[in-house]
Amino acid sequence: MWAIETRGLRKVFRPLLGRHAVVVVDHLDLQVPGGTVFGFLGPNGAGKTTTIQMLIGNVYPTAGKAWVLGYPAGSIHAKRRLGFLPEKFQFHDFLTAEEFLRLHGRLARMDSATLNRRIEEVLELVGLTERRKSKIREFSKGMQQRIGLAQAILHDPELVILDEPTSALDPLGRRRVREVIQYLKQQGKTVFLNSHLLSEVERSCDYVAILHRGRVVKQGTLDELLVNRSVVTLELRQITSAVLDALRRVARRVQPIDERRIVAEVEQESQIPALARAVVLAEGELMGMQAQRESLEDLFIQVVAEEGK
Amino acid sequence: MVTIIWLTLNEAMRRRAFLGTLIILAALYGLSFLPRAFHQALGGNPQSFEIGVNLMILFGLDIIKFFSSVLAIVLGAGAITSEIERGYLAAILPRPLHRFELFLGKWLGVMLFCTANAVLWTALLWVSVALQAKPRAEMWHALPYVLLYPVLYGTLALALSSFSSAAIAAMFTVAAGAFAYFADHFLRPIAAFFDVELLQRIVSLSEWVVPMAVLKRLVQARVDALAPPGMNEAPPLGSEEVLLFLKPPVHSLDLAYVGLYILVWLLVGLVIFQRRDVQ
Repeated sequence: MWAIETRGLRKVFRPLLGRHAVVVVDHLDLQVPGGTVFGFLGPNGAGKTTTIQMLIGNVYPTAGKAWVLGYPAGSIHAKRRLGFLPEKFQFHDFLTAEEFLRLHGRLARMDSATLNRRIEEVLELVGLTERRKSKIREFSKGMQQRIGLAQAILHDPELVILDEPTSALDPLGRRRVREVIQYLKQQGKTVFLNSHLLSEVERSCDYVAILHRGRVVKQGTLDELLVNRSVVTLELRQITSAVLDALRRVARRVQPIDERRIVAEVEQESQIPALARAVVLAEGELMGMQAQRESLEDLFIQVVAEEGK
Repeated sequence: MVTIIWLTLNEAMRRRAFLGTLIILAALYGLSFLPRAFHQALGGNPQSFEIGVNLMILFGLDIIKFFSSVLAIVLGAGAITSEIERGYLAAILPRPLHRFELFLGKWLGVMLFCTANAVLWTALLWVSVALQAKPRAEMWHALPYVLLYPVLYGTLALALSSFSSAAIAAMFTVAAGAFAYFADHFLRPIAAFFDVELLQRIVSLSEWVVPMAVLKRLVQARVDALAPPGMNEAPPLGSEEVLLFLKPPVHSLDLAYVGLYILVWLLVGLVIFQRRDVQ
């Protein structure tokens, strides 16, 4: 069973007085395996937040269907099993951290004993135990984000949806969120992470989907997506046209970056030795070679650029 | 739903609504000097003191009607859309509760707060009367109908807030109330005096748009005995039809219409909130 599954999910916003309807999500097909950390990426306006809003039941789809943990998205059964940290939120800042969590625990229909225990646990997990009696209005933006994370995981949900959880955090805060995500993964939970911080996603996620103009344009494990195109920096004593021609026959992209170094991109890691052979056969003098796996950021920019053409 | 009611009451307190409560209490305290002032102004006639007490009750009930309605409009108008815009509901709606529970919880919270205030103010008015003269039971008989004012306006504002901003919801509710007040207090005598059918129709329509005149009649029927001599008497001239138009009697279905009106707006708000996107 998928933790999240969408079929042909579509959302069109029709402004009341505007002339043009805006297609925000366009026949989105998405499968999120259970027990994984899933990165949901896309440029601004790609439809990520709207998709999340449809998954939690705040926004109704124009067409298509979505299931969360096997239940229709937005149903009480689905909501009972998911936790959510919104991107734009304003908590009831006149409450203390503890009162705030108690409020959300009651809304999640938790019993008192479990709620008391979980409040202790989640405050400890997000590092706010010392500030439990402080009003939320006294919290910094980063602390508010952490208390938001605490309310999302308070009722021990099977699926946690985090919409830009690290946007307001400093490096230490980000590290703590990463630790919480890893903790949730160890507990067998599914984490659905929407973030612009691609390095964070690369560090935390097993699976990613890249959304562009409301459609999933790439989806898979990080290994599947990133291993396919490997980037190698070759250092030669001298770059000759014969060497460049030889490399171009093997690599999908060859780019000299200065008088001695060339960046070459091959389809698969297994093709990297062929680059070395090509240089030698073209009578080039290979001084060094460094393979770099393409970063998620490289992939993201490339995918978005290709789709934008 | 109890949690949402609790939260709504907390929000009302946070929005300094209790300061409004204190201001009304002060106004009612000031009103308690009216009978003595009236008594002195009319040369110490013992009857004038009793009239002053009755006027104090009538003015007091008007103040309670007005301010409890204002309180209900302010709280109701800011309960849904402005909370969505501020981002409060973004974290609450994904919780396992139906939208109707949230809406009804908000409605009950606002009503509870306004009702509690109106009862408190009425109790203070009663104490002020009891300290000076024989207590009037009429004000307690009128209270359930007085409470319908905040319920009616609060429901209307909440229903409008399910799709519009707080400012628009409040403005529209106040405009509807103002129209009903203007039609009942100003248009009605003009329409009767000049016998203009169009104006008479507007007055009748206003009672359907916001049944404020109906509510006024229901309250008045309970405090008629307190009205000073001549205040509720029919004008000396005019046909029976005109007099009936000027001072319509309480109809047995009036209360049912007010109840239905509140229910319809509650359902309208509920249906809109149930179907709208929240982001």
